[in-house]
Amino acid sequence: MKSPPFEYKRAEGAEEAAALLNELGSDARILAGGQSLLPLMNLRLASPAFLVDISRAGDLKFLHIDNGSSGASPLHVGAAATQRDVEMSAHTLRVAPILAEAIANAGQVPVRHRGTVVGSIAHADPSAEVPAAFLAQGGSVIAQSLGGRRVIPSEDFFDGVFSTVLEEVELVASVRVDEWPEGSGHGFRELSVTAESWPVAIAAALIHITDGEVDRASVVLGGVGSTPLWRPEAEAILMGSDAGAEAIEAAAEAAAAGLEPPSDTFGSGAYRKKMARVLTRRALADAAERAGAAERAGGKQ
Amino acid sequence: MPTVREHPETLNWVGKSIRRIEDPKFLRGRGNYIDDYSVPNMLEVAIVRSTEPHARIVSIDTSAAEALPGVAAVVTGAAAAEVTDPMPDFGPSPDKHVWRCLAVDKVRYVGEGVAAVAAESRAIAEDAADLVHVEYEPLPPVVDWHDALAEGAPLIHEALGSNVPFHRSFVFGDVEDDYAEADVVVSDVLYWGRSGGQPLETVGAVADYDLGSGMMTIHVNSLTFTSFLFMLAGTLKVPSNKLDMHPHPAGGSFGAKFWEVKTAAIAGMMSKVTGRPVKFMQDRLDNIANGDHHGSDRRYEVSLAALRDGTMLSMKVKVVDNYGAYIQFGVGHHGNSLAQAVGPYRMRSIAYDVTAVLTNKCQQGAYRGFGSEVGNWVLERMVDLMATELDMDPVEIRRKNFIQPDQFPYFIPTGNCYDSGNYEGVLDKTLELADYHGWRRRQAEMRAEGRLVGIGICTCQERSVFSATEFWFWFDQPVGVTSSPESVTLDIDAMGAVTATLYSNASWGNSPETMVAQFAGEELGVDPSEVNVVYAGSNQGLPATGPGGSRFTIMVSGAVEGAANRIKAKAAKIAAHLLEANEDDLEWIDGGFAVRGSPDRRKDLGEIALQAHLFKHSLPDEIDSGLEASFVHDHPYTTLPNADRTDLGVFYPFVGHASHVAVVEVDPDTGKVEFLDYTAVHDCGTCVNPRSVGGQVIGGTVQGLGSTLFEEFVYDGDGVLKTPSFAEYLLPSALDSPALKVGHQETPSPYTPYGIKGGGEAGRMMAPSAICAAIDDAVGIRVRRLPATPERVLDMIEAAED
Repeated sequence: MKSPPFEYKRAEGAEEAAALLNELGSDARILAGGQSLLPLMNLRLASPAFLVDISRAGDLKFLHIDNGSSGASPLHVGAAATQRDVEMSAHTLRVAPILAEAIANAGQVPVRHRGTVVGSIAHADPSAEVPAAFLAQGGSVIAQSLGGRRVIPSEDFFDGVFSTVLEEVELVASVRVDEWPEGSGHGFRELSVTAESWPVAIAAALIHITDGEVDRASVVLGGVGSTPLWRPEAEAILMGSDAGAEAIEAAAEAAAAGLEPPSDTFGSGAYRKKMARVLTRRALADAAERAGAAERAGGKQ
Repeated sequence: MPTVREHPETLNWVGKSIRRIEDPKFLRGRGNYIDDYSVPNMLEVAIVRSTEPHARIVSIDTSAAEALPGVAAVVTGAAAAEVTDPMPDFGPSPDKHVWRCLAVDKVRYVGEGVAAVAAESRAIAEDAADLVHVEYEPLPPVVDWHDALAEGAPLIHEALGSNVPFHRSFVFGDVEDDYAEADVVVSDVLYWGRSGGQPLETVGAVADYDLGSGMMTIHVNSLTFTSFLFMLAGTLKVPSNKLDMHPHPAGGSFGAKFWEVKTAAIAGMMSKVTGRPVKFMQDRLDNIANGDHHGSDRRYEVSLAALRDGTMLSMKVKVVDNYGAYIQFGVGHHGNSLAQAVGPYRMRSIAYDVTAVLTNKCQQGAYRGFGSEVGNWVLERMVDLMATELDMDPVEIRRKNFIQPDQFPYFIPTGNCYDSGNYEGVLDKTLELADYHGWRRRQAEMRAEGRLVGIGICTCQERSVFSATEFWFWFDQPVGVTSSPESVTLDIDAMGAVTATLYSNASWGNSPETMVAQFAGEELGVDPSEVNVVYAGSNQGLPATGPGGSRFTIMVSGAVEGAANRIKAKAAKIAAHLLEANEDDLEWIDGGFAVRGSPDRRKDLGEIALQAHLFKHSLPDEIDSGLEASFVHDHPYTTLPNADRTDLGVFYPFVGHASHVAVVEVDPDTGKVEFLDYTAVHDCGTCVNPRSVGGQVIGGTVQGLGSTLFEEFVYDGDGVLKTPSFAEYLLPSALDSPALKVGHQETPSPYTPYGIKGGGEAGRMMAPSAICAAIDDAVGIRVRRLPATPERVLDMIEAAED
């Protein structure tokens, strides 16, 4: 389990990294925490000729809350911010607690000290926690290339197994996670066979309740398709409902309907489909309780 | 029968939870693990592993690999067969299923080595391995046991003429009479999935063949079984007296480094070929796919016959064991089951029909229990089924059938002897520590809330101290009675300091140095923390068998006792001379000899040692210089199978016992099992170091938990290994494990020093039974297949609802 030979380059900043990608072409991969890429290289499942290390890029190592123009204040996570830093940050707990919960389920603590949030999103493992939570809460990906930056909405970013709409010459410089208004609640549930194994399935959900009625909802499933799956059918059922048990059950059923998940040694496709429904139900129940509690308390939880 | 021993009433060191002698070096990263060991000019090896489950090797092109800078040699299986003989194989008819260090002509499982590369670094070796082009002609794979037995099945080994290297029907006692007498017979079909020991450090070897002397020196963290090293010498075509094995700590073996011999063979072969020292360190992929130590993989058809009142009479077992592509230990795994086939129960007879089949999987080796853990699980599954059938409490049916303390030594129908036991004592202690009746009340309350809470109990044996006589039962002609000895040398230097030399590769995650130091402390009156424990190379070695079958602590206790007695005999002569007393008037007391009745007239061991080392000519003529002694401790009690194999003899006579209680809650929607409580009470006779026994129990129980709930080497229908790394092969961590409550009962063996019985495999031999019973109890349906993954448990719940 030794990697094939590769050349290591360190980028001091986002623009340098983009310039290196531009120069080195498709043989180069971005290295941030390395917690997914390096095992793949050691297993010889990936063999990039060049690694461009951004872990010490000063302009990518940040985590803060942006002052949004329309009053919303998204969480802004730079590509060199580690999962552990994001997980433990008060900013995250305020704007995107679902992200903190997702990270807490992703790998062991030592892994999270090296792994990055942006790296997990860019890696686009359909079974991973962070992409599912990111997609559920919504936001945008800021892609850097030699020519400058572009903004990709979260729902457009993932396009297949370990695949995104990112161009070869682009790297993800940061992600913004949208803030949800007061009266919101989240739920994040995953099932794995052991405490530390890859998830069988994941459900990430947020709902917002005004005057006892759901007026915004988001349901995302992980581990049951080629990307984290956004489930608008489930959201449609929740909208206007009281987020009670009946509505949640119907939404969970809708979330799982039509899924054709893959099978592996952790569980068959049929089992994953069942778990998608169970986990959606549980995640929505958590979200409803938190949203309700938040509403009663007159503020966001 | 062996002599019944008088155990001393007071002990100074045996029985104390002293800190482990091993801990300081391991905790400081100075344990001298094999991957930390290197020598100048050393090459490193990588293996080209088969990507095919079953295929003829048409050609192997090594030219690109050989051309890579830094590559010293690329050796194909065919080339290896010219410089090595087949691997050691303890099975029946090894010439009909020839096993080699690298595959020749055809591959028989995914991961089997087809070529070895030696290069200046492991990374270069792996680069070169990628450049070796192997052309395969695929053959139909044989994966499941029934595929192997099917009419016209493809043959794994053509020379064998079938895929069945061994089949035999044993009948012990009057099985048919007992079934005729029985009121109730329950039967079932049970499956035990293939799991295995997973060490942190895989198997590694550094071999150095000296062209001048012809010596083959191999440093290795495997091969505990040093008595059989001559077989490796045969494989490497070196004279048996020119192979020298130097042990390195295994870190963890759990059986899986018992006799992992291929790594040393490949390293040795590559050193011979290149003329340079060579390291071969398995990586995780090598270890999982090609480590030769997968665990049992069995399908049982089994029935149990009893009277209406719950008295168990007899059992019929028909087992097919999927051994994989080779069968290095024969069906020794079933010998292990047969050593305790009737568990702690007074069953009169048993029929045991065993079929070994060969398939396109990695072969089985040893894994904590060596197959007896499966027998325990099957027996306990059947006892629970009988209890359900008779509407008896699972505790009471067990209590009713226990062999009683006054019935020992007790011979079970298969011929093995149980030396001693007090099973009700363990059971009562377990129920109390587990708060069994309290949990039953809480369970009723939780069930009323709709929760699936279950309680499971088991009462199981742990046979210990094998003699390799157990190997002989599968041969038609009995071979001689084997001892499987263990040896030690104790040396007292001029300052009275003690060095103990061990002769096997004893350090495999257990506490051999602590054990030896405690025994030396006990026998010689020294502080165990001051005993220096070293390991001899095998070439200068005395007979030794090492750990395995929960034997090491007992066997080395006898070796230390014997060596200490020899030292004391010499020391007494010296003391008598110095004290001007008659030797017969001396008594050993507090680490020295004193004149009986005059405790002030004494010589400590240190004073005696100084005289022995420096002043030989002041001493009587017959006393030579120095104060050291060796002792080879032979197996205290083993007998041959009889010719018709209706009695397998005594080969595992020191039999511990344990009872576990698991309390679980099953998630009705996901099938996931969570632990609410877990209790384990063990009786392995006298505990030498209760804390280290507790550690063995906890570790073994967690491994049992893994085998029960999720650990499995999964091969799909095409023979593809779906669990090649720890991403797929799931291991329990602390987060998956209950906080164990561990208790000990001590029922000393009458036949071993201090009354010790083995405890090293204990937890894994019990946990599957207790956990499955708890799941049954929670869900209301029987677990029949391990591992009981969440999906399988959910399927059971849904089936129960239908």
